[in-house]
Amino acid sequence: MARFYLHVINRLGTARDEEGAELADLQEAEARAIEGIRSILADEAKAGRLDLDGRIEIADESGAIVRTVPFEEAFEIRPGDDRASGRSGGR
Amino acid sequence: MIDKLLLKLRLRDDIDSAEEEALRAAVAEQRDYPADRNFIREGQELDASTLLVEGLVCRYKDLRDGGRQITALHVAGDFVDLHSFTLKRLDHNIMTLTPCRVALVPHARLKEITETLPHLTRMLWFSTTLDAAIQREWELSLGRRTALAKTAHLFCELRVRLGLIGLATEAGYALPLTQAELGECLGLTAVHVNRTLRELRERGLMEFRDHEVKILDFVGLARAAEFKDNYLYLEKRPR
Repeated sequence: MARFYLHVINRLGTARDEEGAELADLQEAEARAIEGIRSILADEAKAGRLDLDGRIEIADESGAIVRTVPFEEAFEIRPGDDRASGRSGGR
Repeated sequence: MIDKLLLKLRLRDDIDSAEEEALRAAVAEQRDYPADRNFIREGQELDASTLLVEGLVCRYKDLRDGGRQITALHVAGDFVDLHSFTLKRLDHNIMTLTPCRVALVPHARLKEITETLPHLTRMLWFSTTLDAAIQREWELSLGRRTALAKTAHLFCELRVRLGLIGLATEAGYALPLTQAELGECLGLTAVHVNRTLRELRERGLMEFRDHEVKILDFVGLARAAEFKDNYLYLEKRPR
């Protein structure tokens, strides 16, 4: 077990994690980061906004950043069918 | 030991000395638990209800994948499972969140109260219906409120509930919970709670740091939460 801190950085600024969490390893910290990004952006999406310009920085006990997870990494993003096939509007 | 319970009951209706005496006599035993102790497990046979004397306790349910929902928070003077008197086993777990002192009230003594003191019985009934009212409000939060609104709502509710027992002032209160535990109350990840707290701070509404809640603008916080205290039934009247 080790303590990790997950700082959220996006267009609005930085939300520093002062508390941290005891996790098995970096892999679990990454999983928490992905889960956190999905949860934040799902909430934003409900308000009709989706801003993928952000990241979570995972810091270890010493405060050193050991991994950066861009928001985009939390999603598989596929463009709409219309755009993919070059069609425009209508059916 | 039952002073905070009495404080809360007397806010809603008069409790006479015979009723007070019956409540005092109903307590069989006191116990101390450390933090994070799951002291009542789902399905366990129960023959006593637990009154929280000091500390913070939660009711929670788990999913197989480790997902946990805290369905209720209890503060000093709350019965954490008065409903076990009629249910005899629970469909959820009960865990301490901080070091706690509890008092055990055997179901046999509660039965005696129901058979001899009808008004006190109604007041105990009131406290389980109040639990249900709080649960409805949490349901609204979990189902419909945004992350910001439901977080603000929880802090508003706790300010009122802790205020009733002298553990909160206009300026704030001590809340020895982690962001992960707050997330388990709110259906949010710890990361999301952290982000939401930052937004509440930036809007000048409140701060939560080192287990201390600082209320900067209660009116604004209540507005963001759509918090109305009517579901806490704070009025005194014959019941």
